[in-house]
Amino acid sequence: MNTGIPAIVFIAVLGLLGAGLYALLISRHLIKVVVALQILVKGAMLGLVLAGRASGQIETGQALALTVIVADTIVAVVGLALAVQIRRHFNTLDITKLTTLRR
Amino acid sequence: MPASALTWLIALPLAVSPLVYLLGRLSVLKGALVNSARWLALLFLLACGVPLFQAGQAYLATLQPIDWTVGMVTMRLDGISLLLAATVWVVGTLVVFYSWRYMEHETGEEKYYALLIIMMGSMIGLGCARDIFNMWVWYEAMAISSFMLVCFYRQQPSALEAGFKYLVQSAVGSVLILLGIILVFAETGATDLVLIAEMAKFASPVPMLAAGALFIIGFGVKAALVPLHTWLPDAHSQAPSGISAMLSGVVIETALVAILRTTGMLSSISMTWGVLLLGFGAVNMLLGNLMALRQTQVKRLLAFSSLAHVGYMLIGFGVALAFQQASSAAGGFFHLITHALMKSLAFLCAGALMYYLYQARGSHRPLMVDDLAGVSKRYPLVALAFSIAVLGLGGLPPLAGFMSKWQIFVGGAQTQNPWVILLVVFAGLNSVLSLGYYAPLVNRMYRLKPAQVVESGVKPSWQLELPLVIMAAAVVVLGFMPHLMSWLTGPAAASLLASIAR
Repeated sequence: MNTGIPAIVFIAVLGLLGAGLYALLISRHLIKVVVALQILVKGAMLGLVLAGRASGQIETGQALALTVIVADTIVAVVGLALAVQIRRHFNTLDITKLTTLRR
Repeated sequence: MPASALTWLIALPLAVSPLVYLLGRLSVLKGALVNSARWLALLFLLACGVPLFQAGQAYLATLQPIDWTVGMVTMRLDGISLLLAATVWVVGTLVVFYSWRYMEHETGEEKYYALLIIMMGSMIGLGCARDIFNMWVWYEAMAISSFMLVCFYRQQPSALEAGFKYLVQSAVGSVLILLGIILVFAETGATDLVLIAEMAKFASPVPMLAAGALFIIGFGVKAALVPLHTWLPDAHSQAPSGISAMLSGVVIETALVAILRTTGMLSSISMTWGVLLLGFGAVNMLLGNLMALRQTQVKRLLAFSSLAHVGYMLIGFGVALAFQQASSAAGGFFHLITHALMKSLAFLCAGALMYYLYQARGSHRPLMVDDLAGVSKRYPLVALAFSIAVLGLGGLPPLAGFMSKWQIFVGGAQTQNPWVILLVVFAGLNSVLSLGYYAPLVNRMYRLKPAQVVESGVKPSWQLELPLVIMAAAVVVLGFMPHLMSWLTGPAAASLLASIAR
């Protein structure tokens, strides 16, 4: 059993989660926000595979990760569709300009 | 037989939803006068009542949970799922009927009904999930359908803004839940709630504690626990009124049920989950009420009052988890039912007024508190139903809201714990505070002269008012006879306690 690979994957999970969270916090652009969310979920997905290996249930872990791909793609599609509509009605993709509900 | 009823209950809405869309689309393309989607939606929902009734009857006869296994995933109908499914079904069916008239002038009616049915189906599924990952999938399905419903008025910038805000917060929440699932799965190698609860005793506590915290925060986004609530007032005020009623009446409660399931699963790790929920409950009540006091839009006001009501439910459930007390769990579940009725009624009334005053003329202006002036003169039935709803929410004695709050407070007082009693007193004071914004609404409707906009409103429509009458009658009847619901709340409380007692 090679112990190096899980360690690398673990670092990748943390890296993806960190990068996603950081990107989510600093992005002011709608598309970038959706991308940041995707990076976050990719980290979680890799984590599921890793958890499957750690608990000796590799197949289950992979099956769960596949399900996450489906659910998360739909979220991305809806998010991007919303971004298109927002571009149409606000004429901008800058989050700080969406202020109709600020009070 | 019971398992097949459960199969139908879960599968029917999911199978029906695309059908409603396709047939509705066809009737639009054929240029039919009436969109067939609305008839189909109502018929299928009424059909859903049959498996719900059968499964409920089978469960209540023995009080043994009904399991249905598909591959590796088990669905389980217990008291909590039955209560949630029944609440979702009743509110959803009334909302569909209400939407016939309310959504009549909108384009894409068939999408509305299809999404509404899938949202109801995913909530029923979430209640029945016995597998933590499966629960996440249902939760995502519910979230995605509700994003699209919140921005249903896609010509309106504010609806789009609310929808995007909701999407981002909810997506981050679901990643947190996923991280919790990863921790639990890595520790125990199981995703089954019952199995995890068995194995949690032997697992190392730190990852499990972290997982519990992640579950509370993740589901808490949808349940509108206070620092995570910022999507709620926007989404509730921008969605079509029927959807606001669903969001506030059942969606946030569904997330609460998910919190109860996951914390119940991890209860052998620590008994402090209940205390945590009590803390969130106190903050929710105070902030919800204070924010509601300064709102000028009716639907935003009602949205903030949902925060306060989540707080009352959290008090009931928190006491149940921390002290293993059945009576306050039953109180929490009873408040879940009455809140679903009262808050949906309030949103539907606000929606009816919006329809009469603005929407029938093609305007999507929000209903302001000032617009309520003298509404009772022109729309007496809506004004009466709205008054019953808001006074019930405020907890005035002969109405349902008083009974459920009372049960929660009594449950809290029975613990004999000074801190909990202090919290109950605080909740009672909050209830009084909430009358500070409910009572002026009633006063405005009955005592002021009709405003210009009210005078020029359209004639009332029976299709909008029939659901209001049914719900208002239910609120009054439950206030006088709260025991009518104990067949539902008792088993639910027992199921909750069974999941934490070990």
